[in-house]
Amino acid sequence: MGIKQLYQVISEAAPDAIKNGEIKNHFGRKVAIDASMSIYSFLIAVRSEGQVLTSETGETTSHLMGMFYRTLRMVDNGIKPLYVFDGKPPTLKSGELAKRTARKIEAQEAHEEAKEVGTAEDIEKFSRRTVRVTKEHNEECKRLLKLMGVPYLDAPCEAEAQCAVLAKAGKVFAAASEDMDTLCFETPILLRHLTFSEQRKQPIQEIHLDRVMAGLDMTREQFIDLCILLGCDYCDTIPKIGPTTALKLIRQYKSIEKVIETLDADKYKIPEYFPYKDARELLMNPEVVSADECDFKWEAPDTEGLVKFLVGEKGFNEDRVRNGAARLTKNLATAQQSRLEGFFKVVPKTEEELASLKRKNEEKAAEKKKKAKLDAKAKKDSKKAPRGAN
Amino acid sequence: MLEARLEQAQILKKVVEAIKDLVQDCNFDCNDGGIQLQAMDNSHVALVSMSLRSDGFSPFRCDRNIALGINLNSLMKVLRAAANEDILTLKAEDQPDSLNLTFESSQADRMSEYDIKLMDIDQEHLGIPETDYAANITLPSAEFQRICRDLSALSESVSIEATKEGVKFACSGDIGNGSVTLRPHTNVEDESKSTKIDLTEPVNLTFSLKYLVNFCKASSLSPTVSLCLSNEVPLLVEYKMEAGYLRFYLAPKIGEDE
Repeated sequence: MGIKQLYQVISEAAPDAIKNGEIKNHFGRKVAIDASMSIYSFLIAVRSEGQVLTSETGETTSHLMGMFYRTLRMVDNGIKPLYVFDGKPPTLKSGELAKRTARKIEAQEAHEEAKEVGTAEDIEKFSRRTVRVTKEHNEECKRLLKLMGVPYLDAPCEAEAQCAVLAKAGKVFAAASEDMDTLCFETPILLRHLTFSEQRKQPIQEIHLDRVMAGLDMTREQFIDLCILLGCDYCDTIPKIGPTTALKLIRQYKSIEKVIETLDADKYKIPEYFPYKDARELLMNPEVVSADECDFKWEAPDTEGLVKFLVGEKGFNEDRVRNGAARLTKNLATAQQSRLEGFFKVVPKTEEELASLKRKNEEKAAEKKKKAKLDAKAKKDSKKAPRGAN
Repeated sequence: MLEARLEQAQILKKVVEAIKDLVQDCNFDCNDGGIQLQAMDNSHVALVSMSLRSDGFSPFRCDRNIALGINLNSLMKVLRAAANEDILTLKAEDQPDSLNLTFESSQADRMSEYDIKLMDIDQEHLGIPETDYAANITLPSAEFQRICRDLSALSESVSIEATKEGVKFACSGDIGNGSVTLRPHTNVEDESKSTKIDLTEPVNLTFSLKYLVNFCKASSLSPTVSLCLSNEVPLLVEYKMEAGYLRFYLAPKIGEDE
């Protein structure tokens, strides 16, 4: 999932692109959420004593619990969520998907074994690894969203790409996903941790694409090539090229073609099957529906329908469901506080200010590096000392 | 370098007291025209814009443009150590790490000196377009404060409706509803107790009372306050000072009619 280490690369090269804030700062904004990713995380995280939540008949309800309460949290904070579901996976992803399936089977076996001989901790660990989002999970979530009056869309292909298109067209404020590859699809703003639980006290992370690009000093093509070298879902990576080398290579040679040309073939073994051109094409031009064709609106919840579904079929607590429905109704009805940005425009920074900002960022990065070096040295020295004493 | 001497410390005290609950950290931009400040609250609903012109100081010297990044709570801690009538002097280098403040008592021979550490604040500036507002209302600031306080007991939001007849502040909440109507009138003895309404077109807008109550903390800066409204733009609440102003902008609440 996502791009390996991209977050670290960005936080070092463009620290000002990342902002952390409270969820309530985003009130009044429409946000497109990668639903499939969220459901997966609900299945993993919404648990009690390490087991998925189930109804009396043994059906899993973790995804519904997560969907219902985490959506309510957003609505309570004045956010208007729009969920986007994955369509068919791109063919290039089949390699990655096959690997995931293999890992799941492995985990399933390990889970069975752990159940017999392992500790409780092992059982929990492997049980989480066996999680898969099934078609039923998706269908149930869609049914729930419909009853809640929250809109959803089916993406033709990858949900992140569709979210990004909506954000780019200004139909929503931002795309919300944990996947960093949403940035490759040109969402102007990426929100992370939005569907996390309140108790985790995780700030909502905002990543601004324009500042990422300015900080890395790259075009979109170069950025995508960097992501492919770091490791995306569509293509293997070249062994021994990590984030530092990848960044250096792309900065120097500007494209994967040039990198490959100049790469020392003995040191770096390029994988036999390395379809970076196709991967690039997928990241550049993902299969999406144009934003104009997407129509969505928020409606009043169907309280009785919610009760029938969640309480009747899934064994939720009736008071809580009714309370949730009341909150949905209330937030839809009250006048929305607008934001100043809707009226006053941000004055772009002058060249001078931008230069000084860049200088400051570089200074900070250099300082950090220096400190890390010193720390490493101190560690080394402290290790050496007892040996010298012997 | 910056050197600015303010005859009365209370001016700065009141300004910082009025905005510190809205904004935590902000840049004081100093140039030869004086000291300005612009900052939004965290949720980007309200904006503070302050200007103290150089002629409000004596003397005022600022050779280069300097941005003083200050935590307002820290500044308030220091300013509390100044008496209202003290003479306050601000000093900073051209590329400062700290801001120096001295308070001199005019009667007693007492002088106190403080340094506050500065911080780097990466702030976004908003361009505020010149607007001809449809309604300009001037009223005693104590009156405005009272209206906001009274109505905030009932509801979270207030609708402000300005017509030729007067201006009506109305709200409704769980326990009931309430309204205050002011008609234009002139107080011959004390000009500042008058209510004036300048109207080119009737307006009706809804705002969050929480923010308005917050703005009213600036009431002690000026005996009158002006409210400027136009449909579908932010409200401007302005407190004029002898040599400058403190302005608040507030985005309206809008109904769901998409």
